[in-house]
Amino acid sequence: MRARLLGLLVAFAWLPTGIAWAVDYAADVKPLLRQHCYRCHGALKQESGLRLDHVSFIRAGGDRGPSLDSNADQSALIQAVTGSGDIEQMPLEAEPLSAEQITTLRTWIASGAEAPDEPLPADPRDHWSFKPPKKPPLPVVDNPAWMTNPIDRLLAAEHEARGLVPTEPAEKHILLRRVYIDLIGIPPTPIEVRSFLADESPDAYRKVVDRLLASPHYGERWGRHWMDVWRYSDWDGYQAEVRESQPHIWRWRDWIIESLNDDKPYDRMILEMLAGDELAPTDPDTLRATGFLVRNWYKFNRNVWLDATVEHTSKAFLGVTLNCARCHDHMYDPIPQTEYYQFRAFFEAHDVRTDRVPGHIDTKTAGLVRVFDKKSDTPTYLFERGNEAAPRKDQPLVPAVPAALGGDPMQIAAVELAPEAYYPGLRSFVRQEELARVEAAVQQCETAMAEATTQLVAARKKLADFVASNQAAPTAEQQATEENAAATNSENTDSADEPTPTNTGPDAGQQQTDTKQVDLNAQVADAEASADVAEQAMLTAAAELVALRARIAADDAAFAVPPAENAADLAREASRAQRVWEMSRARRDVAQAQRELDTARASNDKAAKVDIEKIEKRLAAAKKARDDAQVALGKPGDVYTRFSPVYPSQSTGRRTALARWIASPNNPLASRVVVNHIWMRHFGSPLVDSVFDLGNNGRMPALPTVLDWLAVEFVEKGWRMKPIHRTIVTSAAYRMASTSANESNETLDRENVYLWRMNPRRMEAEVVRDSTLAVAGSLDTTMFGPVLDQESGMTVTRRSIYFRSSKEKKMTFLDLFDRANVTDCYRRIDTVVPQQALAMVNSPLALAQSRLLASRLNEQLAEASSDDDRFVSAAFERVLCRAATVDERDACLKFLDAQAQRLADPAALVAFAAGGTSDVKPSGDPRQRARENLVHVLLNHNDFVTVR
Amino acid sequence: MPRKPIPPNRARHFGRRTFLADVGMGLTGLALGDLLLQDGIARASEAQAWSLPDGRAHFQPRAKSVIWIFLVGGMSHLESFDPKPALTEFAGKEIGDTPHKDVLEASFIQDNLRIVVPDDANGHIRHKLFPTQIGFKKRGASGLEISDWWPHLGACADDLAVVRSMWTTDNNHGAQLQFHTGRHVLEGQFPTIGSWIHYGLGSLNDNLPRFIVLGTPIADCCGGIGAHGANYLGPEHSGVQLGVDPQNPLPFAAPGTDVYREEQENQFALLDRLNRISAVEYPDDEDLRARIKSYELAFRMQTAAPEVVDCDAETKPTQEMYGLHGKDTKTFGRHCLVARRLVERGVRFVQIFHGSNGGAGAWDAHGNLKNNHAKLCAQVDQPIAALVKDLKQRGILDETMIVIGTEFGRTPGTQGTDGRDHHPFAFSVVMAGGGLKGGVAHGATDALGFHAIEDRHYVTDVHATVLHQMGIDPRRLAVPGRKRLAIDYGRPIRQIIA
Repeated sequence: MRARLLGLLVAFAWLPTGIAWAVDYAADVKPLLRQHCYRCHGALKQESGLRLDHVSFIRAGGDRGPSLDSNADQSALIQAVTGSGDIEQMPLEAEPLSAEQITTLRTWIASGAEAPDEPLPADPRDHWSFKPPKKPPLPVVDNPAWMTNPIDRLLAAEHEARGLVPTEPAEKHILLRRVYIDLIGIPPTPIEVRSFLADESPDAYRKVVDRLLASPHYGERWGRHWMDVWRYSDWDGYQAEVRESQPHIWRWRDWIIESLNDDKPYDRMILEMLAGDELAPTDPDTLRATGFLVRNWYKFNRNVWLDATVEHTSKAFLGVTLNCARCHDHMYDPIPQTEYYQFRAFFEAHDVRTDRVPGHIDTKTAGLVRVFDKKSDTPTYLFERGNEAAPRKDQPLVPAVPAALGGDPMQIAAVELAPEAYYPGLRSFVRQEELARVEAAVQQCETAMAEATTQLVAARKKLADFVASNQAAPTAEQQATEENAAATNSENTDSADEPTPTNTGPDAGQQQTDTKQVDLNAQVADAEASADVAEQAMLTAAAELVALRARIAADDAAFAVPPAENAADLAREASRAQRVWEMSRARRDVAQAQRELDTARASNDKAAKVDIEKIEKRLAAAKKARDDAQVALGKPGDVYTRFSPVYPSQSTGRRTALARWIASPNNPLASRVVVNHIWMRHFGSPLVDSVFDLGNNGRMPALPTVLDWLAVEFVEKGWRMKPIHRTIVTSAAYRMASTSANESNETLDRENVYLWRMNPRRMEAEVVRDSTLAVAGSLDTTMFGPVLDQESGMTVTRRSIYFRSSKEKKMTFLDLFDRANVTDCYRRIDTVVPQQALAMVNSPLALAQSRLLASRLNEQLAEASSDDDRFVSAAFERVLCRAATVDERDACLKFLDAQAQRLADPAALVAFAAGGTSDVKPSGDPRQRARENLVHVLLNHNDFVTVR
Repeated sequence: MPRKPIPPNRARHFGRRTFLADVGMGLTGLALGDLLLQDGIARASEAQAWSLPDGRAHFQPRAKSVIWIFLVGGMSHLESFDPKPALTEFAGKEIGDTPHKDVLEASFIQDNLRIVVPDDANGHIRHKLFPTQIGFKKRGASGLEISDWWPHLGACADDLAVVRSMWTTDNNHGAQLQFHTGRHVLEGQFPTIGSWIHYGLGSLNDNLPRFIVLGTPIADCCGGIGAHGANYLGPEHSGVQLGVDPQNPLPFAAPGTDVYREEQENQFALLDRLNRISAVEYPDDEDLRARIKSYELAFRMQTAAPEVVDCDAETKPTQEMYGLHGKDTKTFGRHCLVARRLVERGVRFVQIFHGSNGGAGAWDAHGNLKNNHAKLCAQVDQPIAALVKDLKQRGILDETMIVIGTEFGRTPGTQGTDGRDHHPFAFSVVMAGGGLKGGVAHGATDALGFHAIEDRHYVTDVHATVLHQMGIDPRRLAVPGRKRLAIDYGRPIRQIIA
């Protein structure tokens, strides 16, 4: 019917106007009105007193009277959309309707404006998710196995009401693999499988679940899920230029993993992510959490940055598409455009900064990136039609949350920060590192000074000795003594400088004596200059230490609460000490340059001559600096260098207020959104299909009682996730098989909306890579730390969560398996494309791990390693966590035989011409190589990437 | 098998019968794609609630594939497709001293320009007029005027539709991204034209991706992979970069020289056998079915991808036509020839970049424009012309739309002594095939080529034209919560549609 109708519509485009056909209200008219008219004439707004979202309202009309007339062209509705009569053409500020659309309306009116009986549209303010969740009563159900777990009772009631029969429990090995991958992101080892199969105690499964939830891998597995939702991205940009997100943001990733492993309450996590800087301003561990906001940093446009902040804060925590209200009032939810900008106002003051971390002076190489309120008085304006060039400056907005969402009353209180928070230079490690640095410099200078002094003393002694020896004509004895002395001294002097006297005559002897004295004089002068420079350097270092201590003392006094009485004195002292130091440093630079210049001038080396001009310039500059420093020293002053920037001492408290409003038991959305995300990741399908939109335009939950029970339970259990995981994965529902031959269920609920069986799923990108490494025994389980180079993912065997992932900097292997889109990933997509097959067949990762695993399996089999049958069993257990069936075993054994034979004759084979060759070479033994091939095939098996 | 992201619930909608039918048929995608084209018209309509596109055209398409050539850096419209004798007449004069001084007062300058880097050395209005650096001739029966740097393409004049009245808003190279997304770089990143096609239209060949990128993508400075990205549509709709080296056309296209072909073939055979044993146990699992197919396809793609980029398979005359042996033309000629091979095999959108140089792009002739453009035109003229002629002689020009674009034009005034600066107020785009008219010049700039004045077209009008010829109504593709502006949709340039 629809196809035919549209055929007509399309045909109509090429025909003259005036051809009439049947128009259907529900199919043709209502959607058109919904799209173009409801925004101003619907449940949320009734411009001119007119509503168009129900045929009774259309007939009744608005301030102008009825909208319809038996003569279509006389109808106010037609006049409005055509802009005829005295009505301004509608829709206002939007594209007019097309001729086809107007014809549709006209035809409908002309044919009597018929419409089926429909209930009046609901008020969007009464939307289910805007009301706080309540725990539903738990029904009594027939199946006793489904009476223990509240989720089961709620689900079983749905099953019974619909005539659905829940599927049998999954086989134990399937369940174990499912729950391992689900909770820690890697499959169980054969030993773990066997011990679970052997454990017949009633709490065998519960023990496994407890162990997995306590595993540090839980935080890595679920950390990656929340990084999807919270839009984790490493920095991106052009070469070294950062354009989006920030370097060092990996600390937020570590915070996520740690928080999950600690089972930190989710309400606390929200508080820390949105306002960690206000709640724990001096705690670097908490400050990491604000990476959630840092991630939105965008170099080119503050509005793009804040738009992302608003959009994703509301989607991630509230499941509300606030972004739809940026340019106009929200079309579906009762959120006027003003509230979009009022929500933005919570973030208006905030900015991003990088604080020093212990061990790193330069924040470029390492640092703590976090947010802070930079300009508390920045006003927020509504942008007309979302156009940043058209801010409504006459109406500055105050922060507020969308009124329709209810929740607690908003209370904003500014936060006074501790000095250490707004002036990170006060932190003890900064001072300790500075002191250590300068003290080391002092020590180094003292050593250098001592050496230079020794040299000077030696040079002077040599000169004095020489002069003395020449004044008294030496007897042969004396001469011998002197020579001995010279020999002794030569340990400290360069004997090469001392030509052996050769007596060729009295004149020659005098000449030699003169030359020698000039030489020795020069040596003394040089040693003096050296000593002078060393002394200047030492004085400078000492002055720096004095200045440093004075600065610390001045800081202590200035930032004490209340400031110390002698703060002003100490500031002047620090200022003076600093200027003394600067003066000393300038003198040192002069001495240094002077010495270099002297050396260069004295040198016969051509290269040194070339430098003279440069050194002269440097010397002149140093002298000027010295003179300036001298002048500065003579002036009074209390300015000295701080140990870091000093930021505002007050934070607006807006973000804390917002976070408290979100993370409140009275917020109707926060707990529903989070349990929906958790549910989706356990079952492969969410309770509310539109996971980031629980508003009027989102989907209705198919199982509202389950959603609300979990939401309330979550809050009652202190917003902790682990109890929710435990409740879910120990339910009978979770433990069902994912397969079913139940035709009746299929007919009744083909899409498995009511969960009468488990949903099989494909591993996420990271799980594919991590599990490949894990089953091969190669996974490096080191946790945390700086982000790893994305290009090294084929050879570095850390878990995938630790590799760089941003818009452009990403690991190809993960990309092919649908890694999280860093722009927006509330839900992973899950494709099956041949590029994935190529990655598992040809990547150096898959090739290397197959070869390694084949050899490790041999080691495990020890003396049985020659038995192909045992090898096949071991390979299936390790890679697929199950035994091989008879058919499979048969196929594999035949393969091993045939493949080994074929490989035994390499001359008959053709090698590939290209590809990224792995460092791990194939075995030289054809039988072993065939086994490597078999392991590789199992890694490509559907049962490997599938979680059943 | 590129699959649309059907949510699991919906994905499981197919029953066992579909499974059996599919496995029997093998390449379902291909068959389905053909059916879609024959069927022509999809059911989707704005009258229905939003749902994922079903891969069918919304109305009868004129074209089934697009070859989108992008000249990176900003090709001069004044030395290619928009002759301006006044430039030579008033060469050396300040614009303000000519009868055309009013161009400096035009409201376009205020209204359209959006500056990213305010004090950049480039991106300014240049006042001293620079004579046209190359002659023009009337070409073909249509007499379309094209410069002498384009002799080969000039010979195809009667197949070309030139739009001389393009404009954009970025005076710097962010305009490269803008040309593909329709949005100024300051507004962020958005889906590109290729990704919309990918999102909207089904596959015609499951051996190959639907949206392929050839040549080096533009640099990070100017949009990077965003210029063939899909942004909020999701990365599965992004262009797939294909190398033209048959040894390595795709990521992980081959396992390395220490693996034997026969060895791997047997592995594929064993895998297929094992997966089919599983399929008996899991008859309803379409992911398994899809995976079996994806491995079959991967195996074929290992051959198909190197095969499709293997220009040695072409006849000598064809190779010559594309300039595969010419020093200047061999690289870009190969891209054009591979593009033809791709569209022949049903690839929907082929995006070719020319002139990527890790920065602003080779066409960015701030100085020595004459040598720069002479050299670059010599690289692209013959291959593009070959593409037009070759598609035509094979009878597929009608269903293949060629677009030759660039981010902006160049200033009528001179920069330095012999260059032209960025010029967002006017530039030319050339199109051919795909149901467009030939031998037409549409729209016009003023006497200096300064402003587009007649039938002005923003870059999204080109997008709209492409989508229209492909049978897509972009308004039906809009994603809820992602408001698109009227300007994002553009309007098809009806005057050049045959």
